[in-house]
Amino acid sequence: MTVITSRRRAAKADAQGPKPKGGFRYRKAVAIFVVPFAVLFVAFYLVPILYAVYQSLLKIQRQGTFGAPTQVFGGLSQYVLVFQDSVFWSSILRVLAFGIVQVPVMLALALLFALLLDSPLLRGKRFFRLAFFAPYAVPGVIAAIMWGYLYSPSLSPFKFVTGNVDLLGGGTILWAIANVVTWVYVGYNMLIIYSSLLAIPTEIYEAARLDGASQFRIAIAIKIPLVVPAIILTAVFSVIGTLQLLTEPLVFRQFTSSISSTFTPNMLVYSTSSVPNFNLAAAFSVVLAVATFILSIGFLRLTQRKADQ
Amino acid sequence: MKKSKFLSAAAVAVAATIALAGCSAGSGAGDSGSDTAASCKASTGKVTLNFTSWVPNMDKVVALWNKENPDIQVKVSIVANGNSGTYKNFFNQLKAGNAPDIGQVEYDTLPAFRVQDGLANIASCSGVSDAKADFSDGLWNQVTFGEANSVYAIPQDSGPMALYYRKDLFDKAGLSVPTTWAEYAADAVKIKALGGNITNFAKGDVNQFAGLVSQAGGQWFSTDDGTWDVNLTSAESTKVADYWQDLISKKLVNTLPSFTDEWNNAYNTGQDWTWVSAVWGANTISSGAPKTSGKWAVAQMPQWTEGDKASAAWGGSSSVVFKGSKHPAEASKFLVWLNTSKEALTALNKEANLYPASSTGADLPALTSGVEFYGNQAIYKDFATAAENIQPFTWGPTMTQTYSDVSDGFGSAISGSGTLSDALSSGQTKTIAALKAQSIAVK
Repeated sequence: MTVITSRRRAAKADAQGPKPKGGFRYRKAVAIFVVPFAVLFVAFYLVPILYAVYQSLLKIQRQGTFGAPTQVFGGLSQYVLVFQDSVFWSSILRVLAFGIVQVPVMLALALLFALLLDSPLLRGKRFFRLAFFAPYAVPGVIAAIMWGYLYSPSLSPFKFVTGNVDLLGGGTILWAIANVVTWVYVGYNMLIIYSSLLAIPTEIYEAARLDGASQFRIAIAIKIPLVVPAIILTAVFSVIGTLQLLTEPLVFRQFTSSISSTFTPNMLVYSTSSVPNFNLAAAFSVVLAVATFILSIGFLRLTQRKADQ
Repeated sequence: MKKSKFLSAAAVAVAATIALAGCSAGSGAGDSGSDTAASCKASTGKVTLNFTSWVPNMDKVVALWNKENPDIQVKVSIVANGNSGTYKNFFNQLKAGNAPDIGQVEYDTLPAFRVQDGLANIASCSGVSDAKADFSDGLWNQVTFGEANSVYAIPQDSGPMALYYRKDLFDKAGLSVPTTWAEYAADAVKIKALGGNITNFAKGDVNQFAGLVSQAGGQWFSTDDGTWDVNLTSAESTKVADYWQDLISKKLVNTLPSFTDEWNNAYNTGQDWTWVSAVWGANTISSGAPKTSGKWAVAQMPQWTEGDKASAAWGGSSSVVFKGSKHPAEASKFLVWLNTSKEALTALNKEANLYPASSTGADLPALTSGVEFYGNQAIYKDFATAAENIQPFTWGPTMTQTYSDVSDGFGSAISGSGTLSDALSSGQTKTIAALKAQSIAVK
């Protein structure tokens, strides 16, 4: 026993031994690897965020209508406007309603496709893996334009449907967008879940089969519980994506009158900044970012607590 | 100038979003120096000017200039029209300090750019004050804001409005051209019975609606001693809103977003019969609805009172030198050529159907002869008549915001919740809030 511990100690001492000598070089290597990321992170993430926060604390002052505008410190006055703005909150409620319906549907489909790809019963896996994933490779704007034409009452190749059912009307437009988003992102989420399925050791399946479990039973009792972390990850991504919905509704404005310039929170930020009222737009984005952050952390906490139980 | 440029509009929208995300380190609100006409010194050596415009084929017109002026070369970018994203880009570029030297800005948006301190005063640049003689007082007043020693833009084209209608369809249906709005509404019912729509009411064309309000004698803005009065809900404004609301409620008009493929298709297939639009619309129809060549005609706008002759303006652009340009003298020289020389005006009319604001352009041969697409009618003569009857209208200092908010309200009205009048009242409230946000005095 003592021999072993002393040997361990010796090994530890050996590991610590060269450290003071090579520490500088080691740290330099770390720096070389970290710097490219850190520079980009600071330049394109931290600085813009801090700049937005700074902008949100300013307000405009001028003499007369055409006096040159000067930005002065305005405290939290822009934030007061944000919290008074019912349009902003109704746009948030709109995307939340969207997310509550669309995210579960999309993730259920993604899980189903992932399980099918992983099941030994399916043939042509390579083809289907690519086919399900292909929509994600279509740029968002192009996908939205394509669906816009498909939905259009007079230009659609499915006129017999779109001519009779108004898919772009005020009541249906949100779900028409949900369909596009689902189409684009199912494959992406499927791939995340699928790769997590591939990481499950095959011995577990073998054991299950020896115990007489069917493929269906294996999927329900083994695969799904083991990929829950991947599903949570995709859910968090989707929640964030939902709150930041922009491309699809922006493009659909070319096809329908039922999308206002404040349809989603990000569209409101965009239209406010183009007034231009950069300070208020900055305050909107800061509040939106904080809300998104709280929502994602809250979701993670909630699901983790459940998983622990 | 407006043109359906669907993809480029989408691309600009997306590019603008990216530009927005990346915009940082601006110099605050620009230099706060006062705007008394600064000296306008010529640069030495070869100069390259950047020019952003949405006039189709502008590159061909600029090529004429570049050939003769090797020392002042102009580089054109042709983009989507102002309200489809280009104004957003201009505002962002001004904030970031990298705006082009020269840009195109419609008259209604000039005050908004002035409020952002984005326009260079070119009054002292050579040739600019001489150009005054080329333009009507009303138009010149719009580019000087009525101030002494100030010129912030050179007028390019104007947008007198008239009624484009499908003469063949009207003849076949036994209808005569409506001369009053009451007749127009009555025709709408008859046309609906034949399976068509008299026109399309687009939620995005609030500037067209403003033209209709001005034709009815209304004003949205007035200013007294620097304090603004916003009046989107005046009696005239409400009258126009109620009129169109009635047509929308009875489903007598199409309600597609304008300048889109679907909207073009409605004209191209003969579903929509008329369009109350400006002179530049001639190009929009001929390029968007090529199958209807020879079937259109132009008449004066329908009137509220029989026998009146009121018209209005929709759009019409000026060329501005943006603040921060290092070559205002050269830019002004180019703009004076572009907007007052016979050579440039002829080319602009030929390439882009522009109706020149300058009086030099009024007697261009192209503007007095028949146009094939419009059954060989000399439509520009009709627009010249309309131009004489344009009712003056004061533009507010935050028109991009007013348009966007009213347009949202129009969208709800079209989708069946609320009315056009409701849209005007909410636009009123939001415009006042926007003026306050810009620290502009408002009643």
